[in-house]
Amino acid sequence: MRFKSRYLLCELVLEDPRWRQNISQGTVVYNVREAIARTHGDFGAAACAVSLSVKYLNVYTGVLLLRCRKDFYQLLWSSLPFITSLDNRGQRIPCFINTLHVGGTIRTCQKFLIQYNKNQLLQLMKNCTNAAEKEAIRQSLQSCSLKSLEEPEFVLSKNEENE
Amino acid sequence: MDPMHGRMREQPKLAGPTSYERIVLKNPSEHHYMKVQLEFNGEGAQLSATQFKLLVVSALKNLHGEVGSSLPLDLLSFDEKTLCAVLRVCSRGLVKLWSSLTLLGHYKNHECSIRVIQTSPFLLALAGNSRELDLE
Amino acid sequence: MLRGLEACPRHLLVCEKSSFLHEKSRHSALVQSHYYNCSVSLLLPECASLPEHIKRTVDNFGRYYLVRNLPLHEFVKEDFINTFVKKGAFYALTYRTRIDQDNSAALLPTGKLILSVDKDTYEELGLQGKPSLYSGKNPLRYIIKIDLTEEGLAPGGKKFQRLNWAFTEKKPLKCDFLLAWDNTGAPSILSYFCKYTVKECNFKITSRISRDLPCPVLKSGDLHGKPEESCSSEELFDWLGAVSNSIDCDNDSSNFISAFCCPHPNTMVERAHLCTINGFVTPENIQRLLDQLREYFAEPKLTQWVSLIVHGFADSPVSWKECEHGFFKGGENLYSVVVFNNQDYWLQMAVGTHDGCPP
Repeated sequence: MRFKSRYLLCELVLEDPRWRQNISQGTVVYNVREAIARTHGDFGAAACAVSLSVKYLNVYTGVLLLRCRKDFYQLLWSSLPFITSLDNRGQRIPCFINTLHVGGTIRTCQKFLIQYNKNQLLQLMKNCTNAAEKEAIRQSLQSCSLKSLEEPEFVLSKNEENE
Repeated sequence: MDPMHGRMREQPKLAGPTSYERIVLKNPSEHHYMKVQLEFNGEGAQLSATQFKLLVVSALKNLHGEVGSSLPLDLLSFDEKTLCAVLRVCSRGLVKLWSSLTLLGHYKNHECSIRVIQTSPFLLALAGNSRELDLE
Repeated sequence: MLRGLEACPRHLLVCEKSSFLHEKSRHSALVQSHYYNCSVSLLLPECASLPEHIKRTVDNFGRYYLVRNLPLHEFVKEDFINTFVKKGAFYALTYRTRIDQDNSAALLPTGKLILSVDKDTYEELGLQGKPSLYSGKNPLRYIIKIDLTEEGLAPGGKKFQRLNWAFTEKKPLKCDFLLAWDNTGAPSILSYFCKYTVKECNFKITSRISRDLPCPVLKSGDLHGKPEESCSSEELFDWLGAVSNSIDCDNDSSNFISAFCCPHPNTMVERAHLCTINGFVTPENIQRLLDQLREYFAEPKLTQWVSLIVHGFADSPVSWKECEHGFFKGGENLYSVVVFNNQDYWLQMAVGTHDGCPP
């Protein structure tokens, strides 16, 4: 039998977006672990310690993919809102984590992320002021269709460029 | 037939006899009750009810964090001499409370442990423990 | 796994209301079929000392006996069956055996011998039984029921011989037994079991008076209760527990230690008398006590109701009748009867996880 996991697709929102470049996967894992230990104690920390990892962290968009064992993902999920700052080499960076989606595989999370980003772009388009901006967004919208899921890496990087 | 039947009937009644009704409640109790005793290894310490409650809450906080320590928990009675206590916890917190009591090992540098004597969803059940019937 | 962290063991509470005057009233059947009782409590609000007629009943409870290392084959002897089982209600229950780990046995007043044994003993005994209802897929506990009054169990018969052989040679089981016998005219237990160490035990009676107690308001016709009018049966059951454990009900919601409160609405009672009798109480004695409680309201009293609380043995193999009983996180099987001054009564029966629904 394989061990089943849950993937939490989150958005890391920092008070000052410039700090994003300094954050590594290790920092995130460390802070998430701390938060679980605080809210769910020794039991929660131990239950989530197995296979808790950051699968993907995009320093440009703040998109974060966390993995956890299926049995205990609720412990992880419920402690994420209690993270109010990241401890990064002695610095405290005020932040919060939005959970966007909970999926059973990375693939479903990816599908959701594409759909989510598409919606975000549509929102942006509404607020556009000049024609050039509008055209740029339209182009990127066309590029992120479900068909292009075959090259997921490509799509993700495309989206990032548009940020 | 009931021997007292005749006599009782002569009494003035407030209303007619109540009709029969039966309700079966499955898992009705919102709370679980635990009878516990604190034991020290060697010389012990004196505790007040407030200190005991704090000890239990800190045990919960150690094992189950802030979520555990915020469980609805009441210390219904505490005997300072025997260190016996009756705890009330909401039903979904029973396992959490029990596990933290098990792993409790220290109070102010004294080694200690908590013995669970009885647990029940009914407070009334704690009043009569047949396992304590002592005929020696 | 995470779900197991929040799960709580199954339990049942059955509430009934009826009147003693109903011809089909089941109160005495239910009292009589709860065979093994370890403690009986009387709660009398607004009562300073126990009324004389109730006190007399309690004093006349008689005695019960503790026999050490009694072999089980004593119960299948022809002599025993003829002198005790067929001549009245004889109660026997193993003492200090834990039903979740030891072998235990009970002799019901109906003449049935019920054994609850582990798998090894069951296989050694070689008697017919059934796996316990609560032992899951791989039974580790078996229940054997033997009817001692059965026609087929005539002495010298095949079945009788096999029973004797099983208990004397195959697997000689020995236990400490609690015995009670309500037929005072017959030969006494002391003389019959003189070969063994028999101890005569007296009931332990304790009384406590609680002062200035908040007491829930009850309406005998309304089991469910109404907000601001009367309390429900469940709330009362909780409150009875608080009084029996002498728990303070007068807390406010901001209290750090406890926020336990008396159900609402309630009235202040000046004093309440709680009398507890501990020992091996037979249902006949409880029935007598209940009859006396009904008589309590023959004279006008300040209180509307009185209560009788009965606790069963956590380690008895049966609860009501022959309903299998086990020990999971607690072996609770108890009931309480609330007697109202208009001859109505409420009956509350509570059982734990390894127990069937009360009749």
